[in-house]
Amino acid sequence: MIEVYDLKKTYRDRTVLDLPALSLRQGETLALAGANGSGKTTLLRLLAGTLKPTAGTVKTAAPVLYLPQKSYAFRGTVLQNVLLGINGRKQQALDLLEQLELRSLAGKKASSLSGGELQRLSVCRLLIRPCRLLLLDEPTSACDPQSAALVLQALAAYREKTGCTLVLSTHTPRVALEAAERLLILRDGKPEADGAPQTLLQSPGSDWMRAFVAGWRI
Amino acid sequence: MDALKQALHLLFSLDPELLQILGVTMRMSFFSTTLSCLVGLPLGALIGTRSFRGKAVLKKLIHTLMGLPPVVAGLLVYALFTHYGPFGRLNLLFTVRVMVVAQCLLIIPVVTGLTASFVEQSTRAVIDTAKGMGLSRRRVLFLCLSESRTSLLSVVLNAFGRSIAEVGAVSIVGGNIQWKTRVMTTAIMLETNKGNFSFALALGLILLLLAFVVNVAASFVVREVRDD
Repeated sequence: MIEVYDLKKTYRDRTVLDLPALSLRQGETLALAGANGSGKTTLLRLLAGTLKPTAGTVKTAAPVLYLPQKSYAFRGTVLQNVLLGINGRKQQALDLLEQLELRSLAGKKASSLSGGELQRLSVCRLLIRPCRLLLLDEPTSACDPQSAALVLQALAAYREKTGCTLVLSTHTPRVALEAAERLLILRDGKPEADGAPQTLLQSPGSDWMRAFVAGWRI
Repeated sequence: MDALKQALHLLFSLDPELLQILGVTMRMSFFSTTLSCLVGLPLGALIGTRSFRGKAVLKKLIHTLMGLPPVVAGLLVYALFTHYGPFGRLNLLFTVRVMVVAQCLLIIPVVTGLTASFVEQSTRAVIDTAKGMGLSRRRVLFLCLSESRTSLLSVVLNAFGRSIAEVGAVSIVGGNIQWKTRVMTTAIMLETNKGNFSFALALGLILLLLAFVVNVAASFVVREVRDD
């Protein structure tokens, strides 16, 4: 569940996010889209609590898990990375690695992974933990189409198991269409359009939306 | 060449005074480095990982103290521990203990400032990732220290280097007393003032050798840590 009112984030005299309201039911999925600097990451960080708002209220259901845009490999093996801060559950970690086709790399150093592999590992690290709100900042940006499909499948399975609310940002229409039932498009920190992904993509309301949708990577 | 010969002679003849000076130097450097790191590393990690009001002012203050002239630190500690000073009753002036105190005053800001900078620059991604995984604050702090341990080891080496090479503060509070508080740097200063340049140079070479041995040992530790 998410309730947001009059949310603003300002850096000196530049407002990077100005969101009058946002509400999501438990279990709902939302994709965030918009050009670079439109406020997607800021919104996710505000929801995750890693950034303090300049004004407004954010209410979220705990526990919250958040995947930053930049993936990071902790010291140790791939398996040790997944099990960080968790006692036991080795088999579950291995199953998850299998699901994301990383099982053969379980004993390898996490720092030796490629960008796409590291991003899948980052997703793994979150999906082994339970949560009520899952926030993902461009979770497939470094993945090839096959790997991206694996991530989306793993997310769908996790959502079915936990019933969590999912908010993810993306530059890929396929991700928005497959992973979310709702799409919020941000423009210069403000909401430009909010609705079902299919509807927004097929019939963009304004000239700006038409140009944005046409420019989106298909 | 004379200095080198003299340095080797001093070392291999196991000159008792040289061994005593080396012992005092190592004891002082070990304790001042250890105490400074015990205070400075966690303090720097806290400053580097947290956002709070007055952080910028605190960092400026630490950066100013990083450049504190050793003689000023020595003078301050002398004033505190002299017979009429607030800690005069402890009777610590002209002892190795007070030399450690003076060195800590110089080294703690260095360790704190460098740790805060390293942690701030290199651990943003660690903090974001670890917090995003729902890990506890304690665990996040531990991860920050663990992930930047190679950098932190260089902070420790820096602290040791500063300690072993320091002369101003230790000569004021230690008094350069033979068989008691004389360390390598103050001995070099004394021999230079006496005109024994080659002997001073020999001591300088031994000090350099000591620093080299510590650095080589540390580089092995760094390699171990990297391979971990």
